[in-house]
Amino acid sequence: MTLKSIQTPLLEVSGLCTTFGAGNASIPAVRDVSFTVNKGEVLGLVGESGSGKSVTLRSILGLSRRYGTTTGSAIWRGENIVETPEAQMRKIRGGEIAMIFQEPMTSLNPLLTVGLQIDETLKAHTDMSASERKKRAIEMLDVVGIPAAASRLGEYPHQFSGGMRQRVMIAIALAARPKMLLADEPTTALDVTIQAQILDLILSLAQDFDMGVILVTHDLGVVAQTCDQVAVMYAGRIVEQGTVRSVLRAPQHPYTVGLMRSVPENVPPRTPLYSIPGTPPSLLSLPSGCAFAARCTHKTEICETSRPDLAGAGTGRSVACFNQVKNEGGAAA
Amino acid sequence: MNDPVLEIRDVSLSFRGKRTVLDVIGNRPARNVNALNGVSLDLKRGETLGVVGESGCGKSTLARCIVRLHEPGGGQVLFHGKDVFSSDERTDRTYNRRVQMMFQDPYSSLNPRMTTGQILSEALRVHEMCSEDELPGRLASLMDLVQLPKDALEKYPHQFSGGQRQRIAIARALAVEPEVLIADELVSALDVSVQAQIVNLLLDLQERLGLTILFVAHDLRLVRHVSNRVAVIYLGRIVELGDSETLFAKPSHPYSQALLSAAPSLDPDDKGKKIHLEGELPSPLDIPPGCPFHVRCRHKTPKCTTELPRLRPIPGRGAVACHHAEEIENA
Repeated sequence: MTLKSIQTPLLEVSGLCTTFGAGNASIPAVRDVSFTVNKGEVLGLVGESGSGKSVTLRSILGLSRRYGTTTGSAIWRGENIVETPEAQMRKIRGGEIAMIFQEPMTSLNPLLTVGLQIDETLKAHTDMSASERKKRAIEMLDVVGIPAAASRLGEYPHQFSGGMRQRVMIAIALAARPKMLLADEPTTALDVTIQAQILDLILSLAQDFDMGVILVTHDLGVVAQTCDQVAVMYAGRIVEQGTVRSVLRAPQHPYTVGLMRSVPENVPPRTPLYSIPGTPPSLLSLPSGCAFAARCTHKTEICETSRPDLAGAGTGRSVACFNQVKNEGGAAA
Repeated sequence: MNDPVLEIRDVSLSFRGKRTVLDVIGNRPARNVNALNGVSLDLKRGETLGVVGESGCGKSTLARCIVRLHEPGGGQVLFHGKDVFSSDERTDRTYNRRVQMMFQDPYSSLNPRMTTGQILSEALRVHEMCSEDELPGRLASLMDLVQLPKDALEKYPHQFSGGQRQRIAIARALAVEPEVLIADELVSALDVSVQAQIVNLLLDLQERLGLTILFVAHDLRLVRHVSNRVAVIYLGRIVELGDSETLFAKPSHPYSQALLSAAPSLDPDDKGKKIHLEGELPSPLDIPPGCPFHVRCRHKTPKCTTELPRLRPIPGRGAVACHHAEEIENA
């Protein structure tokens, strides 16, 4: 703990807000999100669809600029990249901060060979010569575990399976040796066996290259097995944050507790599963109080009227709730 | 509970590939995708049978064969002892009514131009389930059954969330009072908390209506939760079949072991305790000789590369298709 707090964080996001549309139809997709990622650390962002996980990632890289407005700051090497002009941002994207997208089937260009797509990144972000670039491309395909890498450089994405395409995506992302990797559900479309391989790969690369990783996922199991820190998002906000062990072992926000309990693990078979009542609120008409209040089992009067801040709750933990849950762990004890 | 409702006997299916230019030059015949290679299963009355495996292993093809969306190349599907692909059964619509399928994608399995009411009444009319006067009452009771509000009948599919659409799909399947439900990745596209709601609904309906369910999914935790028995499929063959709790607690086939250990546990302390499965599923165009799993198996011996293991019962466990099931148990 002490060591980590002395270290300057690699990426420091604070008060990040992204809103789409304007006026009555404005949708606050990300509301006041703050976190830090250190070197070699993996942060998991979890939540249901529509909770703002992906938009958070995209806002950091300025990918949501065309559709919405982002405020707040994301400090990268002393600079707030939320305000960095587009031209300069292009140098950072793919070079210093790389991103892996969710669908390996659609995020590769079907008309270009895999070799060319890795080469593009290197051309844009390094001063390597053509032969060096080719060497690096082969090396990267090798690192991500694609057999016979040299002969596959000239192949097109359709000649690869889903797992292999995701590996190619990772190879492209990591080719320019980024210091930070943003992975948006990198394994959701894959089978569990391939998922395990890809996650192991990301973890070992994070260690080898001393890279920070933000892993967006909706699978709490993936978080448990890969991340160091975790932030749980609900309706655009972080509701609980802390080390994976502490959050999953003893969740304190009623939403995290609900999420944990709805996973069928350590539940007697064929008994009703716990499910959080109701549905997430529409982002168009968010309640004035806590966004989770309508579905919350621990709700009191104050929850309806005022919004809880993300406040410290013991070592390295913060929870945005007036009535934190005590000793009601959903995790395997 | 013990008489089989559906018997699947040695079903195999291969899809004809196109003969490519390269095949012509190389003087090779067109290649076939062997999706199912002799699958035998019994579905007993009132049980839930889970089917798991990686994508491309033939889970969905099996489900589609059962509801006659594909005709198997070999083998039989017997429903109450009658072959559903024989000519007199083919023309008989009652089988379609009694065995209903629910699909994975809640966004493409409902007609976007029809309201929920129209979708459901179409099913009721086609199978002549009730007279026109009774229709509104039936629709209302179906909405109750799947816990959707009454005004949902007037709405179009795009007005619903993913979970609600799967409820409509369940209502459509249940409208015609089936005996067997085939659920092909019913909840895969949904968030965990919504998944839980749909699974609860399915378990509750099964209890109340005495349904038999074939539950195809790749989420192992979920399959463990809902199933009485589980079949693990690898490259169109069943490699392990057994009682759900036994199979999940002590998987016998090396593939089941690897598959189960790849599922990420919720306990952070399990980090790094996985059995690693090397490589990917071989292409069904080109299935390895001998045991199809031998190329990825940690326990392979020369026998595995030449001889196909049969699915055989192992005392105290289910049936396993592995030459070395006994030795591996203690490994």
